[in-house]
Amino acid sequence: MEIELTLNDDDVTFEAARSDTLLDVLRDNGYTGAKRGCDTGDCGFCTVIVDDEPVKSCIRPISQLDGAEVETIENLGTQDDLDPVQSAFVDNAALQCGFCIPGMIMRSKVLLEENPAPDEAEIRDALSENLCRCTGYEKIIDAVQDASTRMGGEADVAADGGRLPDDTCGGCDCLDGGVDG
Amino acid sequence: MSKTDEPKPEAEADDTSSVEDANPVEWDEAPNNRKAPDERRTVSHREEKSDAKKIVTGEAKYAADYAREFPDLAEAKIVRSDIAHGVVTDIDTSAAEAMDDVYAVLTPDSPEVPNKPYTSAGQSYPEPSPWDLRVLRRKVRFVGDPIAAVVAEDKDTASKAARKLDVTYEEYDAVFDTAEAMAPGAPQIHDADDVENHQPGAEYERNVEANMAGEIGDVDAAFAEAEERDDLTVIETEWETPYQSHCVPEPHTTIAHRDEDNRYHLISSTQVPYHTRRQLSHLFDVPIRDIQVSKPRIGAGFGSKQGMITEPITMALAEAADRPVMVETTRREQFHAVRNRRPARVTLRSVVTEDGDLRALDMDAVTNSGAYGPHGMTVASAVGKKPLPLYTHTPNIRFEMTAVHTNLPIAGAYRGYGAPQGHLAVEGHMDEIAHELDLDPIELRSRNVVSEGDLDVASGILKDKEYGRRIRSCGLEECIAEGRAAIGWDDVEQPDADHLHRACGMALTIQSSGVPGDELGAAHIKMNEDGSFILQTGAVDIGPGADTVMAQIAAEVLGVSPEDVLVQPSDTDISPFDHGAYASSTTYITGQAVKKAAEDAREMLFEFASRMLDEPESAFTVDDEAIVSEATGQSVSLEDIGYESMYGDEVRAHVMGEASHCTEESPPPFGAQFVDVTVNEATGEFEMHDMVYAVDCGVALNPDLVEGQIEGAMHMSYELATGDGITFDADGRPETLGFRDYDMPTTADQPPMTSIIVETHEPTGPFGAKSVAEIPVNGIPPALSNAVRRAVGVRIGDLPITPEKIKSALDDD
Repeated sequence: MEIELTLNDDDVTFEAARSDTLLDVLRDNGYTGAKRGCDTGDCGFCTVIVDDEPVKSCIRPISQLDGAEVETIENLGTQDDLDPVQSAFVDNAALQCGFCIPGMIMRSKVLLEENPAPDEAEIRDALSENLCRCTGYEKIIDAVQDASTRMGGEADVAADGGRLPDDTCGGCDCLDGGVDG
Repeated sequence: MSKTDEPKPEAEADDTSSVEDANPVEWDEAPNNRKAPDERRTVSHREEKSDAKKIVTGEAKYAADYAREFPDLAEAKIVRSDIAHGVVTDIDTSAAEAMDDVYAVLTPDSPEVPNKPYTSAGQSYPEPSPWDLRVLRRKVRFVGDPIAAVVAEDKDTASKAARKLDVTYEEYDAVFDTAEAMAPGAPQIHDADDVENHQPGAEYERNVEANMAGEIGDVDAAFAEAEERDDLTVIETEWETPYQSHCVPEPHTTIAHRDEDNRYHLISSTQVPYHTRRQLSHLFDVPIRDIQVSKPRIGAGFGSKQGMITEPITMALAEAADRPVMVETTRREQFHAVRNRRPARVTLRSVVTEDGDLRALDMDAVTNSGAYGPHGMTVASAVGKKPLPLYTHTPNIRFEMTAVHTNLPIAGAYRGYGAPQGHLAVEGHMDEIAHELDLDPIELRSRNVVSEGDLDVASGILKDKEYGRRIRSCGLEECIAEGRAAIGWDDVEQPDADHLHRACGMALTIQSSGVPGDELGAAHIKMNEDGSFILQTGAVDIGPGADTVMAQIAAEVLGVSPEDVLVQPSDTDISPFDHGAYASSTTYITGQAVKKAAEDAREMLFEFASRMLDEPESAFTVDDEAIVSEATGQSVSLEDIGYESMYGDEVRAHVMGEASHCTEESPPPFGAQFVDVTVNEATGEFEMHDMVYAVDCGVALNPDLVEGQIEGAMHMSYELATGDGITFDADGRPETLGFRDYDMPTTADQPPMTSIIVETHEPTGPFGAKSVAEIPVNGIPPALSNAVRRAVGVRIGDLPITPEKIKSALDDD
């Protein structure tokens, strides 16, 4: 079957099997940022944005998506020009193996669009369907709070434990706001 | 802090003194290894993780992301036993083979499938684990044993074909409990004749794969004396831990193909590329030179990928299908058919004086290996060997371990490697002693615990020869002090409601840094014209940031930024040899090789600078991408040296360095785990207010990455303490089929946590570093069990700690 959709702002047509999921189609066509972690919709590593909602692409049949608007991690910033959410994850060291991170960032992106200034409980609630095995979530929560600050344009430093992108701090325990203690 | 300091019996004192002499306190530390914080250019700085940007853009490539590079890639489905014990008497493959786009169906009889025993454990050669696995199996020993495999044009076709296999079994009685498995008349799971097992104490008729015991002093005499004397107390406790899944984010994945040179090339999610290459070579009778194992980005390992799970069958399938094949395990397979943390039952007896001085420790551990033996003896040994060194001053210590087979999933290596099971017992037991003697649990530990300058003999308790490990750095006292303050140990306020009780609990922790005397790390570094470097190491970065730390170490030596050191991912064709990412060894072992290699390259830089500046090599130091004369202040940039070394008129030579590192040293990191809990005595429910972990990992080479290790490990440790683990029905079928059946904490239910880094300096480690990857996974089970004990007076010693168990124990009180 042929599926027409808007992917990362481009109109595209994909050839797909009826049984394919959105994740199958994305990965078969080179959009490998979304990861396959469970195929049952339980880990969130495959999270992408469909019609402004975070969606676990591994359980979303492609056949339901004709005409949909899909955004993947590939549509965010580049390594030279990161999206604020991406920068916040980098600067807060909110990643280790990285397998969950594209999904986590897409989920965070939707959260921050819907609620630009979430408190910690709201962040924890919004991210609760995206698992991470490496970080204990601590730095991820910090990163989302930081991204919220960055996107609000209030400051270009982390709200909690993060640092200036060009930090040259000399090995101290950086305190709030990236100040060299 | 006092220690038991009574004289030891004469013969023993002699032995110990020889070990003392062999491990002097003095250590001939390399120059410039010890740097004050303000002298460090990049180590102990929070440098950005070198792969961070490609991870957040989705460009980081994991094994399955390479699939698109193989247009004719086939995919496979492994067919697994659905009975726990028996023999496959027939497999009818005809219907599957008749399907379109099915390339091959493999069974144990297929010529591409080796019919040799091997171990999946990715260990040093010769592997201590028994060779008891076959790639595909006729005799099946757990629900999940691979019995056949189908390779087809795509995964769906392979799965459909796999469902068409008609399998006939002869079913045997099965056994799922270690005590029952050792009892007379239990079903025998392995035949000794089918296994190559060099582990001591194997008795397959009792389903025992290994048994070892060791003793320091005279434990029986200590207990006999305790019976005679009123001032000595005997305390006995029992502990139990369940299966735990690694929950690796990236399922085990391998792509195997023959390349244009007719060599096997595997892109695989492995922690041990070199061991895998060697083990595949032996298994398939292919020369080592004809196998290349490439490690792409890895979606974490935690020990799960310290072994060959998908590689052998993928290689056989590629041969059968005559094209590239990818095997990507499912999450369901990850839970029951890959590897898990092994359950353990531990008993611990002690003799202790009225003042709280330990006179004897007698520890017995029985671990459940599941159906096969990878890491069986070594993990079971570690249950005692890892935690007991905390109390190495105890004059009489005995430890016995027994690794037992059952018809349950295969246990393997798992972050902590037996230490979490052992810490629950040892650190839970210490609180029971404190309770019995009415002592403060921290004071009891401080009286007995190991400290800097001491000789640890307990870690050698299972060795044939006398063994000692000098403790050259130990920040435990400060870890305890900082953790105690952070958790608020001394000012816990009781809730107003009578049924709520709040208490802190704590546990000390210890691990090692590599396997002493049994590791090798190597590194090679070469300079580019522009003064940047390419570093090749066998360090296998599986997510924690080893590549970043290796770059920091080299950059510190060479006077450049970490971004100027490009670290290549490990690949057996390119990287120098390395044992792999396990045993908390990478920073300590491979990091030291990187440091030496960078120093080797620096020698060449000084030679060029000497010619270019006409000053003696002894005058030079490195600074800001240049070689600087400390005598005259003259300098030459690395870029100038780079061009001169390659295109100059005088001497041309590529600036390179190389080194290997292995050592008998394995310095333990230390840590103190604290938790703060309120327990509802009416329901048994509890709330974890905070989890504080203070670690001494020597010099933390990258504090961001160290905190990441602590936080991720506390998450795992909390899950071990409170999660249901993997459960099975009465026939041994797993009931845990996916994440939704498993209690992995999410952002919504992960309790708060605080990590504290206490800096010490380890003279044997690169720039003072010790390990940190495993140690923080040891503390939550005993600390939580101790907190519940202090809050409501009941001891939950069998994990998980649940409201139901607390309630039930309170009702029994």
